[in-house]
Amino acid sequence: MDCYSFEKIISDYIESNLNVKERQEANEHIAHCKRCREKLADMINILSAMKTLPCCQTRSDFESRLMARVDRYRQQKEHPFVHILHHYSRAISAAAAVLLIAATSLFVYTSVSVPAESATLPAAEFRGAGGNGSGLPAAVLNSAPSFANTKAEASQPDTSGAENPDYQRRIKMVNE
Amino acid sequence: MSRENIKYTDEELIARFQKGDERAYVELVRRYKDRLLNFVFRYLNSYEQAEDVVQDTLMKLYTSAHMYREIAKFSTWIFTIAANLAKSELRRLKRRRVISIHNMGFDDKEYEIPSESYDPEKETTSAYGEKQIQQAIDTLPDQFKTVILLREVQQLSYEEISQILGVSIGTVKSRINRGRLRLQKLLKELKEQ
Ligand SMILES: [Zn+2]
Repeated sequence: MDCYSFEKIISDYIESNLNVKERQEANEHIAHCKRCREKLADMINILSAMKTLPCCQTRSDFESRLMARVDRYRQQKEHPFVHILHHYSRAISAAAAVLLIAATSLFVYTSVSVPAESATLPAAEFRGAGGNGSGLPAAVLNSAPSFANTKAEASQPDTSGAENPDYQRRIKMVNE
Repeated sequence: MSRENIKYTDEELIARFQKGDERAYVELVRRYKDRLLNFVFRYLNSYEQAEDVVQDTLMKLYTSAHMYREIAKFSTWIFTIAANLAKSELRRLKRRRVISIHNMGFDDKEYEIPSESYDPEKETTSAYGEKQIQQAIDTLPDQFKTVILLREVQQLSYEEISQILGVSIGTVKSRINRGRLRLQKLLKELKEQ
């Protein structure tokens, strides 16, 4: 047996997968080949180091995060319409916000644009016209805080993972 | 609940889950989450991404349990899913690492440096430290990396690995031998640096 042949069976040698004849030939080779003897000892060292690599554990909230994802998946399967609404909630809130801004602007504009010079009103005065409540109906004013809430909710980072585009892409890759 | 589940094999648990028993799913999650994490963590060398991949794997178990057939061992089936997801994630990470290294003005070659997740305090006391071994694993070509991790870290049989990778036992044996020799060569080079 030469060094090349020994290399080819080094794993079988370590794992005792050789028949009597092969093992004898291998033993004869390493008895007189220092290089292969060292290679074998080194390999055994590496493999034992790999077996004792420190293990890592999932974080303590791993299971609860997973089960939250499972719940969302289940809801999505059972109530697809609700899920679609939820999925597009950002778009819906954004549309609502745009509408609200448009309505408010229109209202402010119509209430201050009676005199011709109002078109050139400075910003402060412009704000004053609506800010004192005289120019805007209560309904519009009252809806302002809820609009702020909607926006805050929509801009919160999504920690769910189910809507995370990365996750979706990964799942898609597996499905392919 | 956990205690009574000890008597069930993985295959019995997945069968129960396929019939709608969600507790069987939870038990499978508990049995496999850390095992899968150890494999994926060594494969990606990033704890955060590895945990995400394990989450996705176990999510896939939930959504695709009906795809499992009893002809395979449950462990090989779940490792197949994890290995595929980890492979996609590694491709994505490598692209991202290359981009960020480019932005810092380093060479392409240097993107294989161990990632920020490595903790030097965890170094083992053997002739080879965890850092060196992880560095060598990171540099192994994928066809060797997966078999080496499944064999040396997960200690799976040749037959299990052959099922996971969908290749013959002969191919697995030859890849393990070549992978070990390659790993040894890489470690030698690292030592000489
Ligand atoms: Zn020799």
